[in-house]
Amino acid sequence: MSAMVKPLPVQEAYEDLLQRSLSRIPCDLGRLLYLASTRDYNTGNYHHDGLADRFSVKVARSALEIAHRQAFYKVAALSLEDLVRDLAAYLESSRENPEEFLRTWQRLEPYRIAIPMEVNPTVARLFASNVRLALAVLRLRQESSHLDR
Amino acid sequence: MIGVGGALAGAIVLLLVLLAWMRAEASSKDSRSDWGASDQEQGESVESCSPEIVSQIFSAPDSKFISGLESPGLENLFRRERTAVALHWVQETSALIGKIMRRHLEASRLSADLEIAVEVRIFLQYARLKLYCGILFVLIGLLGPQRLAGTALYAERFIQRIGEGLAEFQLAAQLQEREGSESL
Repeated sequence: MSAMVKPLPVQEAYEDLLQRSLSRIPCDLGRLLYLASTRDYNTGNYHHDGLADRFSVKVARSALEIAHRQAFYKVAALSLEDLVRDLAAYLESSRENPEEFLRTWQRLEPYRIAIPMEVNPTVARLFASNVRLALAVLRLRQESSHLDR
Repeated sequence: MIGVGGALAGAIVLLLVLLAWMRAEASSKDSRSDWGASDQEQGESVESCSPEIVSQIFSAPDSKFISGLESPGLENLFRRERTAVALHWVQETSALIGKIMRRHLEASRLSADLEIAVEVRIFLQYARLKLYCGILFVLIGLLGPQRLAGTALYAERFIQRIGEGLAEFQLAAQLQEREGSESL
């Protein structure tokens, strides 16, 4: 899945995206959510102003789509332990109240929006299931740290 | 002759298998309603899961990690979640085998010189894989996915091999048909 052949301008746009935007995000889940946020919910098309200015709308769209799929498959293949660590890093970088964050994520399941179109349905299920489990693990840790105090 | 004891044991085994099947069906139905796109919406794509993903679904280290947290509630959730994903994988794999076979049949119709022995061998492989999926479905319902990692990976590799073989066959049949139409 990671060995996708990219035409040259798309490859350049992809590398530009990696260097300028994605390298600043500290965790895999954060990168995945960032890439998913560049997709229009109504049309499914990706858009990134800076990338489109430097390349073209079409090239930027393709680069974002490829990066999104790769980020997704990377997170879906993480072990549960690594995903818990990654989710904790994302939670920390969000600077939100951890309790509220976990409660909201468990109720609204916003991570479902991070799933790209046309991915293997089993992988999509595994991803959603693993995030649910990682949230439950963090919740458990949070509850036991409350009890310890 | 089978004695009364033998018949009774057979009936109990059959009942257990039936129960496991029903349990597996129920969890896979739960997970089906959990995820939107139907098989029809997925189109005719013949993309299977990568071996890494299959290993991940049947992963023992994940199970160990959860056990280490010593929370029965979490362990139950893990078992439910992974069973549902594993059953979905089996159903998807079974559907994929069906799609590969349909494509093969379409290609066979175009082929000018069908070899009965090859066709029989392909059909037997198809039947074997379908049976394998059925058994795996029941075993996942009975034992949970973590004990079946080796079996699942074997099935995955087998499907990929058959898929590649059938794709080559299809290509050869198409080439043959093209050559035939050009020579007319």
